Amino acid sequence: MAIADETNTHQDLFEDRWSGYDKQSGITQFSNHLSIKELKQYPLLKEYDDDFLKSISHDISVAVWEKGVTLFEEGSYLDLAFFILEGQVDIFLQKDREVSAQPIFNQTFIKTTDPSSEQQAPAAGASKAASKANQPITYLTSMDFNLPKGESMQLGAGEFFGEIGTLNGWPQSVTAQTSQRTRLIQIRLPALRKMKQESNALKKRLDALYRERALFSQLATTPLFKGVDDHILTQLADRVELISCKPRQVVCKEGEPLDALYLVRSGFFKVAQQIENREATVSYLSKGMTFGEVEYLVDDIDNWQTTVSSVGFTELVKIQLNDVARICKDYPTVPRQLWNSTVLKIKEAGFTRKNLEKSDLIEFSLSKGLVQGNSILVIDLDVCTRCDDCMRGCASTHGGRPRFIREGEKYDNFLIARSCYHCEDPVCLIGCPTGAIRRANVGDVVEIDDNLCIGCENCSRKCPYDAIVMHETGETWASNAFPSYLQGKPRKVASKCDLCHTSDAGPACVNNCPHSCAFRVSSIDDFQQLLAIDKE
Amino acid sequence: MKQTAIYQKKRVNHSKWFNKWIQSPKWLAGFGIAFLVAILVYVANIFVGELHPANAWGLSYGIGAAVLFVGVMIYSLRRRTMGIRALPRSWIYLQFHVYGGALFLMLMFMHANFQLPNGIITWWLWILSIWIVVSGLIGIVIQKWIPTVLNTGLTTEVHYDRIPTLIEASGVKAKKLVAMSGGLVRDFYAKHLENTFLAPQPRLMYFLDAASSIHKDTQKFDHVRPFLSDDERLRFDELKMIYRTKLEMDAHFTLQRALRWWIFAHAPLSILLIVLLIVHILSFVYY
Repeated sequence: MAIADETNTHQDLFEDRWSGYDKQSGITQFSNHLSIKELKQYPLLKEYDDDFLKSISHDISVAVWEKGVTLFEEGSYLDLAFFILEGQVDIFLQKDREVSAQPIFNQTFIKTTDPSSEQQAPAAGASKAASKANQPITYLTSMDFNLPKGESMQLGAGEFFGEIGTLNGWPQSVTAQTSQRTRLIQIRLPALRKMKQESNALKKRLDALYRERALFSQLATTPLFKGVDDHILTQLADRVELISCKPRQVVCKEGEPLDALYLVRSGFFKVAQQIENREATVSYLSKGMTFGEVEYLVDDIDNWQTTVSSVGFTELVKIQLNDVARICKDYPTVPRQLWNSTVLKIKEAGFTRKNLEKSDLIEFSLSKGLVQGNSILVIDLDVCTRCDDCMRGCASTHGGRPRFIREGEKYDNFLIARSCYHCEDPVCLIGCPTGAIRRANVGDVVEIDDNLCIGCENCSRKCPYDAIVMHETGETWASNAFPSYLQGKPRKVASKCDLCHTSDAGPACVNNCPHSCAFRVSSIDDFQQLLAIDKE
Repeated sequence: MKQTAIYQKKRVNHSKWFNKWIQSPKWLAGFGIAFLVAILVYVANIFVGELHPANAWGLSYGIGAAVLFVGVMIYSLRRRTMGIRALPRSWIYLQFHVYGGALFLMLMFMHANFQLPNGIITWWLWILSIWIVVSGLIGIVIQKWIPTVLNTGLTTEVHYDRIPTLIEASGVKAKKLVAMSGGLVRDFYAKHLENTFLAPQPRLMYFLDAASSIHKDTQKFDHVRPFLSDDERLRFDELKMIYRTKLEMDAHFTLQRALRWWIFAHAPLSILLIVLLIVHILSFVYY
């Protein structure tokens, strides 16, 4: 009985994960929940034991796709990777070519919610999406895929794709389209992570793929290596070490000998230093930044001057010092870049020594995620009369529903309102089954298309800052709604700040504040500036 | 520095008190100039012509005051049309509302030749004009003072409408903790705390010093704490935290309520003033 229950649970989980995919246009076959025996027939999964496979089985499906289907395009956020069983997939840059159709894993058609209409019609958002296809595309990521402009790559049976963006939480940097009838194993992120942890062979394989497909481009687009010849970077990509860090893992400790130069692949790192008998946070590092250059370049300094530790799950590239020395010798632009970075870091550390309150601000920003934010709503509580015109203004411009709450964390005189930060790495976008939550192609704005939202709460659960709330619309899903589990149920939609990006007047919250105490800050420096003025 | 392509409103680089009390030197200077011009015109009027509400000079002041008053009222309209995105920032309307309101009173006095009125309606107009402007000025002081009290003394920030719900939730939490505690804590809770969680409890003291008032009120916990076991102390400290948060919500309730209620002494009477103003103008035209 217990076994049956467990099987049912896995079946439920499978339906929960995949019911939105099985009727995608372009899919000719979609697997049911696969048994252990069925999973074991695939070489990729053969090495795992039964218990392990049972634990990940609900996150794995097999689908057969028609020829010419665009699976995803550059800029889309996925929470699944693909493994080709049969067929072929073209990988290319969309800006080099016209795509034949809307991407499957970014846009989807849903049936109208109007109970009187039984006709299958694309929601209003779909036509909007179609019109968007004619607009210039904003490329959201540095091109971290080794694909020269104008070229494409054909992937065949036994190859992975989509795994780099999925594992790192980055938008996909290429477009993938089936070039013939193709059978794929589709692995969701939780399963992929577990598989990578469980199997050294898979870890090595995925790391090798990363080196082969992305590392060269990442090194080449790092300002530090600007001007360095491709063959040198190719050699470097083979030699560097790839490091994955857990939250709060110390990478280097102040006073210990310098061992390498590090490049941040993903996530945030805290840089701390002993100042006046306490460990003060002097700065932070994000994707594309390096550390170790101060210690490497400045004479008489052989030990780490700072302690660097990861804030969340992070990835690093470790470059050996002899490689750095070789490149510095042959390419004078590299030491120049390193010196520029060194001077900036020394200045920054000096400033923090003099202004220790900035250390507290950085610490606060790292712990509360402000470093992620591209537009954070802060309210000066010393001036705010709590009139709530900011919220009323927001509600008035969004059909009567405010998109934020005037509550949240306090820092000094300022309230960090519970409003979307429009993050640098928006985790809310990962895994949206319909692509309703997306970048709006205007700055860094993240928006939700109400017409595509099916109210699954995925984004709301993922947002670490409670900035996405669910609303009842008062409507009921139509009897032909897709996915089918929605039929006849009350319709909910996710709601969040969209920065009023469709209006030239700017965000309604700021615009409607009569006391000029609501601000949008786009960086810690902006916030620091506000705080500094307040201290005068 | 990262730049959001959308919108970035930066605060003018002035000191804290200036940002709080004045906000814009341009508006202050504009008001100062307008006020000075009004005085100069009035002085010139004394030397050049006769002063009477019904002559050309007096009528000009009266028309100016009436037009300005209508202009000042546009702020209320702006607050009711927030959905129109193309409108300029609300802050500009408020600046005009404040400075224009003060100038309106000046023009009204000039219209009345700085003398007491002699008719019933004109008496009402006179009293209401003064009342509205003075209540507006009191409102400004309240709006500058209370946020500082809220900000300096309290660690929480809460939305006014949610206060009763949050207090109720705190009460449930406190009750759960007390149910796990011994007799001493239960007695203490029943005697000192239980009733306080029933509803927000406004206090006048919060207007002066919310932080000290809350600190004083939580001191009663210190008298009981030494008599508790280590385990009980942990729960008792948590209870103290809940109670402290509840008191902070009381303070928010008291002070935010004042911020909301003062407007009733100001806004409804301005509608009455508009009505009387229309009657005043019509009766002047008719007779």
